[in-house]
Amino acid sequence: MQQVTLPDVNTFGYYEIRLESIGGLGANLAGKMLGELGAAYLGLNSAFFSSYGSEKRGSPVKSYIRWCAPDHPLRITSPVETPHILGLFHEKLAGKLPVTAGVDEKTAVVVNTTCSPDQTRDNLKLYAGEVFCVDALKIAMDTKSRINMVMLGAIAKASGFIELEFLEDIARDTVGKKYPALLENNLSGMRRGFEEVRSKRFEADGKYPHVSYQEVKNSWGYANAPIGGINPQFGSTVSNDLSASRQGYLPLFIQDRCINCGLCDTTCPDMVFQFLPGEYRGKPAMVNTGLDYHHCKGCLRCVEVCPTEALVAGLEQEHPQLQFARQNKDLIASLPEYEDVGANSWVTSESHLTEQRMDGGAV
Amino acid sequence: MEGQKLLFESGNELAAYAAKQINYHVMGYYPITPSTQIAEFLDQMKADGTHQISLVPAEGEHSAAGICYGASVGGGRVFNATSANGLLYALEQLPVQSGTRFPMVMNVACRTVSGPLSIKGDHSDIMYALNTGWIILFASEPQAVYDFNLCALKIAEKVKLPVIVAFDGFFTSHQKRRCYVFEQDETVRRFLGEYRPEYTALDLEHPVTIGSYMNEPDIMNNKYQLHIAMEQAREECIKVFEEFAVLSGRNYAPAQGYRTEDAEAVLFLLGSAYETAKVAVDLLREQGKKVGVCTANILRPFPAQELYECMKNAKTIMVGDRQDSYGAGGGNMSIEIGAMLQKQGSEARLLSRVYGLGGRDFYVEDAQQMLETCLESKAPQFDYLTVYEGESDLKSTQYFNVITEQEATPGITKCTFHPEQARFEVTGARVSDTCAMPKRLAPGHGACPGCGIPVNLNLLLRGIEGNVVMLFHTGCGMVVTTAYPKTSFRVPYVHNLFQNGAATLSGLVEMFRQKQRRGEYPEGEITFIMVSGDGGMDIGMGSAIGTALRGSNFILFEYDNGGYMNTGYQLSYSTPKGAKSATSHVGKYQYGKQFFHKDSPQIMAATGIPYVATVAESNPVDFIKKAAKAKGYANEYGMAYLKALSACPLNWGDKPSTERSVISAGVDCCYFPLYEVENGKTVINYNPERSNKKIPAVDWLGMMGRTKHLVHEEYAHIVQSIQEEIDRRWERLKARHESELL
Repeated sequence: MQQVTLPDVNTFGYYEIRLESIGGLGANLAGKMLGELGAAYLGLNSAFFSSYGSEKRGSPVKSYIRWCAPDHPLRITSPVETPHILGLFHEKLAGKLPVTAGVDEKTAVVVNTTCSPDQTRDNLKLYAGEVFCVDALKIAMDTKSRINMVMLGAIAKASGFIELEFLEDIARDTVGKKYPALLENNLSGMRRGFEEVRSKRFEADGKYPHVSYQEVKNSWGYANAPIGGINPQFGSTVSNDLSASRQGYLPLFIQDRCINCGLCDTTCPDMVFQFLPGEYRGKPAMVNTGLDYHHCKGCLRCVEVCPTEALVAGLEQEHPQLQFARQNKDLIASLPEYEDVGANSWVTSESHLTEQRMDGGAV
Repeated sequence: MEGQKLLFESGNELAAYAAKQINYHVMGYYPITPSTQIAEFLDQMKADGTHQISLVPAEGEHSAAGICYGASVGGGRVFNATSANGLLYALEQLPVQSGTRFPMVMNVACRTVSGPLSIKGDHSDIMYALNTGWIILFASEPQAVYDFNLCALKIAEKVKLPVIVAFDGFFTSHQKRRCYVFEQDETVRRFLGEYRPEYTALDLEHPVTIGSYMNEPDIMNNKYQLHIAMEQAREECIKVFEEFAVLSGRNYAPAQGYRTEDAEAVLFLLGSAYETAKVAVDLLREQGKKVGVCTANILRPFPAQELYECMKNAKTIMVGDRQDSYGAGGGNMSIEIGAMLQKQGSEARLLSRVYGLGGRDFYVEDAQQMLETCLESKAPQFDYLTVYEGESDLKSTQYFNVITEQEATPGITKCTFHPEQARFEVTGARVSDTCAMPKRLAPGHGACPGCGIPVNLNLLLRGIEGNVVMLFHTGCGMVVTTAYPKTSFRVPYVHNLFQNGAATLSGLVEMFRQKQRRGEYPEGEITFIMVSGDGGMDIGMGSAIGTALRGSNFILFEYDNGGYMNTGYQLSYSTPKGAKSATSHVGKYQYGKQFFHKDSPQIMAATGIPYVATVAESNPVDFIKKAAKAKGYANEYGMAYLKALSACPLNWGDKPSTERSVISAGVDCCYFPLYEVENGKTVINYNPERSNKKIPAVDWLGMMGRTKHLVHEEYAHIVQSIQEEIDRRWERLKARHESELL
């Protein structure tokens, strides 16, 4: 086995990687592969773990990899706070979620994006670090591989010490064994990620502040929370914004075609449609007045059942202005800010024996 | 030393790997996070043909422990794995296992005990097992999980006591680490030797009675025997550890310390936190502070002497407890270490800190702070770490108006009882009109894109006008709607334990009726609705049947997505035969789930409740009407049971957008026929044969990733058996439809 020397370690002797993604993009598998790469191919002591919770798709997930010299014990089980490499699989996570926490000059930030490193730095409001941009979605589509494979290639490049051939070896030993037919596609996605990633280094020039890692702290504590975990704030999930769960598509409403049959409202799992008493063809009727996109996860069930094509699938990035976007009709509170969460605010990965793609296939 | 190979695995994987190498005879289990993976990995290995263990998926932990006990009295090697409420549900079986002296091994991936429900790690479950007469080993890292699993069985068979191998849920159960396992399974089998049980229920030449009835003098003696065995285990554990060290090069002791020899302050921690605290000890030692940390690898028999050796020079000892024995001034480790110090005549100051509950991460800084507190002269004896008061000027937001009875009663769906036909007639229920029904669930819940659960809940609630109070069993439906500090419910809602929903709701209904009778609650109607997944209807079937037989007045609504989806899709009894799941893998030696889907509507119909019906989102009007009928029956005549086939794009492995068509196909192939049993009379509400829409089951199975493999020729006989079972049930249903008597 090759024995690599880590280019840098933190106070405790660890080289650390954090991957930020949403469930279903394969960040967990990528993390698992990196962890195994460290132990079995790079001659390191290695640990891998994820944020844990109920198993839901589309929710924000984090994966952590911790490496150290082979004879150094791995004693820490807590999350990676100041990563050497930060992999951002889903650009939309950046915003209100502190996905870039802990990034400093030494961090390599690898982002799945169509933007340049300069634009990406501004989009992420990055304090400093070397920004690596790769259009993982496009490469994955071109090569019929997966975003996680392309990201792995880019991460290897960004590390400066993970050789592509080792990455290919681990891919052969893991995904290759499980899905041999997909191996060549995955390898080519990986290679293109390695080759096509573009980077630029940014000093801590004061343009954006340093964001330090913080634990989640809710505003309810022991002195003010109702006893027993009882929650009197009925219906409060309405303040969640679930747009980050969408994987590119959303339903567009063409009201002229709508016959107000109400089928969309029976198939929508997310209570997105706002039917109000009104008039249709001269008679009183419940009328579809639009969608509250805050809660739309882009499942497109409504598009599938609509008998008149009044609902059609559209690419989200092509429709920055949504017609017929309207707030939940029952809401009485004025919400200055929706809280960005994924499909489930407490994440994924219990069994992950296979991770599935949005379109139904395996990773 | 024996040959070993490097693996990159988690604690759960290593427990499974050890079990595979041992090749246990039987594993009885029931999935519960975070221990579920152990059975999952074993199932995968079984599908690949690497072991021959009988893996028996019970319908609950109580039964799983029963299966294990039954198997162990048969004189073979038996294995189990559980966590949290699973351990508590199985608890009464544990003293029987030890009291009748049948060895076995159970892994406990430690997790916090409900409620409120949380799935993450602490030690509140394992401390309930201290008085069960089981030997308890506690592994602080994944490598030790493997090692202890091998040692445990050897110890168990030597002293004839069952052994628990405990470790931290997630921190140890799920973190993957570089670790080493014996290259040859043979090495493991040689280390263990052959198991020769003294007594078995399968020895026909020497018939024995297992489980005597005992009176008072005998119980004393029986328990004293157990006490002697436990004391014997003290020596045997050390011997087995020594023997294991020769094979593996890895040394374990009942208790161990890190830089404790000259330490003035010693911190005691159990599990992964012990490893983390070593880092803090090193940091403080660099600053010249004399601190150390120690742990116990064995909780029963308690290594009092060995722990004292780690603490005897300390002026202050702090015990960190990852649970609390409320009112005792500390957790169980504080109590036991306090007792030990007193016996030793120690004058050291003992401090207790409760930390890391519900999986709250334990950082190096936390350990550092605990050690520094030990060095201070003034510190409270007992405290909780990392708790906070909350924001003092917090204003609560009211997001919605309360849904009034009037608003919830638009009079769209009307239900009239015809006594002469013993039937309710429902009018209205037009889909577009029912859009006027207020939504009792708010949006913003965390279900996966395309999830069928909220779809079915909304359809159900559309047909139920008036006041509602809801109770949910544990499952995806409750987890995605009530993640603190938010909730989706706009109406009163209760969650109780996984298997106990029906009983709980019957208690609430009873209180409502009792209060009304006493004039303590206003006149009027509330429809009580219990919601359960098919998982809850496995573990909770007993409670549901009992409640049905008592005729409690509520609607039991089951959303059947055919699996334990909330924990990552293990098979349920409602999973289609042949389907792959995390506990029914497809491989060379296994084709998926081995038995047919449960016919729960027929089970519920057999209880004689006035109304049983199946519903599907693909037939929304029928769905809404049945919901209205169920309300009519629940409020006046007894329990109503409704069951929906509910889509799970994540685990069915299909496109979220197409789920309504998949459900429709499930109905059209008669896997899920739409019918009702009203006061004993069966009526098929939708007959796909009549409309020429009936399709073969394989067409439906081929639509889902979990059953797609069945389309291949090699599984033709499985598909045929599924089709035959579907046909058999369908023909019986048609016969019932035709006959008043059936």
